[in-house]
Amino acid sequence: MGLFDKLAGWLGLKKKEVHVLCLGLDNSGKTTIINKLKPSNAQTQDIVPTIGFSIEKFKTSSLSFTVFDMSGQGRYRNLWEHYYKEGQAIIFVIDSSDKLRMVVAKEELDTLLTHPDIKHRRIPILFFANKMDLRDAVSSVKVSQLLSLENIKDKPWHICASDALKGEGLQEGVDWLQDQIQAMKT
Amino acid sequence: MAATSSSSSSSESNEANSKWLDAHYDPMANLYTFSSCIALADLHGDGEYKLVVGDLGMAGHTMRLKVYRGTGLASESTLLDLPAAVTTFLMDQNEPRTPAVAVASGPFIYVYKNLRPYFKFTLPPLDANPLEQDVWEQAKEDMIDPLTLKEMLEGIRDKAEIPLSVRSLRFLAQDVPEMENFVNLHKGQPIKRQTVITCMSTLKKNMADEDAVSCLVIGTESADVLILDPEAFTILAKMTLPSVPAFLDVMGQFDVEYRVTVACRDGSIYILRRESKRPKYCIELSAQPMGLVRVHKNIVAGCSDETLQGYTQKGKKLWTVYLPAPLMTMSLLDHKSRGFQAVMVGLANQEVHMYLDKNLVDVIRTQDVVTSICFGRYGREDNTLIMTSKGGGLIIKILKRTAVFEEKDMSLGPPVAQSIRLSVPKKTRLYVDQTLRERENAVAMHHVFQMDLYRLRLMAARAYVKALESSLAPITSTLQEPIKMNAVVQGIGPTFKLTLHIQNTSAGRPSINLLVSFLYDQSLYAMKRAFFKAPMLVPGLNYPIETFVECLSDKGISDVIKVFVLREGQSMPLLTAHINMPVSEGLAAA
Ligand SMILES: Nc1nc2c(ncn2[C@@H]2O[C@H](COP(=O)(O)OP(=O)(O)OP(=O)(O)O)[C@@H](O)[C@H]2O)c(=O)[nH]1
Ligand SMILES: [Mg+2]
Repeated sequence: MGLFDKLAGWLGLKKKEVHVLCLGLDNSGKTTIINKLKPSNAQTQDIVPTIGFSIEKFKTSSLSFTVFDMSGQGRYRNLWEHYYKEGQAIIFVIDSSDKLRMVVAKEELDTLLTHPDIKHRRIPILFFANKMDLRDAVSSVKVSQLLSLENIKDKPWHICASDALKGEGLQEGVDWLQDQIQAMKT
Repeated sequence: MAATSSSSSSSESNEANSKWLDAHYDPMANLYTFSSCIALADLHGDGEYKLVVGDLGMAGHTMRLKVYRGTGLASESTLLDLPAAVTTFLMDQNEPRTPAVAVASGPFIYVYKNLRPYFKFTLPPLDANPLEQDVWEQAKEDMIDPLTLKEMLEGIRDKAEIPLSVRSLRFLAQDVPEMENFVNLHKGQPIKRQTVITCMSTLKKNMADEDAVSCLVIGTESADVLILDPEAFTILAKMTLPSVPAFLDVMGQFDVEYRVTVACRDGSIYILRRESKRPKYCIELSAQPMGLVRVHKNIVAGCSDETLQGYTQKGKKLWTVYLPAPLMTMSLLDHKSRGFQAVMVGLANQEVHMYLDKNLVDVIRTQDVVTSICFGRYGREDNTLIMTSKGGGLIIKILKRTAVFEEKDMSLGPPVAQSIRLSVPKKTRLYVDQTLRERENAVAMHHVFQMDLYRLRLMAARAYVKALESSLAPITSTLQEPIKMNAVVQGIGPTFKLTLHIQNTSAGRPSINLLVSFLYDQSLYAMKRAFFKAPMLVPGLNYPIETFVECLSDKGISDVIKVFVLREGQSMPLLTAHINMPVSEGLAAA
């Protein structure tokens, strides 16, 4: 049976399921990004602020993603930690034009990284420095500096500048995530 | 990782404990303003709140209305005069529901919609003094010369109820040669007396919602409080106060019931209600008010005597807090999602203190003295603290999501145990009788006590003199021979070891030719040597001199042995020690 599964995987008949948490402050563009990753016929046109969370699915060449799109509003952020155990990867979205709240994003990231359910796991984290199309957006290098990403030494991480409205930069990030997850399994 | 993170965390260890995130600090923002000239509002209806500041500029020019978005200046426009207050309010129900900005300056309120000038409201002119009008009428007809005019106006200024107009005051300030010109220039126009706005606030019209239409409430230099219609800018209500309002707080709804709390320049707070033309309650403060904040229903006033005072809405005093430095400004911290309200006070010692009732719950240290404070939703963050400093800096901090303010005082004070009530037992009949007796005979009891006290003192003094005279004390009283002695008895009997510790306490003179003598009951004790010569006593050293005493009695009695230190050739001892001998137990056992 194990052999059959593998065979099916190689042939692309059955894809491996992974659970991904999509986190980040409200208005950072989480829902917009997830929406863009879905097949074009499944995309919605109007995106409203998420209440609580929603579960979305999309597939890449070899993996089947189940994404927990969490709401980033302050009053829902305490929900995040209840899903940490299930998450096999994290997508953390930052609004690169919101310089004022960069400290809040850093604070939430630090809280996430020191949480007991995350701290000792080698779980891959993909950062999207989103809204790079906006005039007052800072570069992805600057974002990683502001969030002190260089201090994350025990988890694989990667940062991509993205524009979720046009879908730019999203594929690069998801490819990286797929590689990481596969490397982890084998 | 460990190295870098630990070094950065140690330098920020203070920050880590802080309840605030440092979102932005620009010491060169060039913002000079007060808490009354700062407001936060969703000016464009896009969910992103902007900061509106009436900037007083430096030295009375470059006054500007500035709008900040995030960390940067979004727009600015010139103001004609110094702003007294800036507020935002919804004028109508029209969509999009974007609030208007009102800037009070001089006798005007400039209303901006979409950040464009929309309307200018002018305070109605006041009646001029008829006497003053007469005098100017005469000047116009050239019936009096400028000097007479000056004298007459000065007379009016000093006596009249109604103060002079600005024109007359300016005339009086002219130098004599220029008066003629001034009169000729101005005598044609009628006299106008105009007042100015000192403070401004808003009052919901008829709904309690966050985004309800609001009236403007203004205080004027003529000691009036006016409520203006939000659309037509007509005066809906006018109330007169005994003094000039300096700070306003308004709650309620205009059409239902409202309450205006006004801190005035006469050092009093007046509370006005709907339908009351005159103040309903008055609070007399201990000093001039420096700020006024309403926390839930209570009033908190900051005063120039470095105090913060809490009152109920009916004017009953609740508490006073003594501040460590003069108060610069104060504002309300309203944590809406937790229903938590506190007062933030900017102090002259570069600290901002947060008080929950009278308890200090947080202290923020700043680089510069804070002159204005504003807390609320900014950008997309609900609990943002905006402060501007004396040097024109802009400080933005965000309250951490996880921050909790303990409802206990963090400043040093009496320990908690002190406020725990003890269960004091009921007063007994005896206790009550006793207190009654004490109350009735207080004078007699005091006399008796004094008498006994004097007796005691007399006895003590007598005993002291006696001891000195007979050199009974273990320290010599003569200055020439300062010697100290104490004696120790060791053993259980019948033989005791007696050790005398003799010390010469003089600075540098050795004692020679001293004799030691013991006096005892010879039927009870036997001593080998009851009289011997002491060695030379070098100053400062302790000389233990040991002898043995044998107890002769087996009846369990003991007695006193006296030790004298004498000077050769003198019968009067230098000092005396009485040794209370212990009962000999050894003999009984043997
Ligand atoms: N200009 C620009 N706007 C974006 C981009 N991504 C998202 N937005 C806009 O940002 C707003 C918020 O996007 P959402 O996807 O709802 O944000 P979210 O992170 O899901 O927010 P919550 O669900 O409240 O946590 C929407 O108006 C999007 O159109 C981007 O790359 N560029
Ligand atoms: Mg969302």
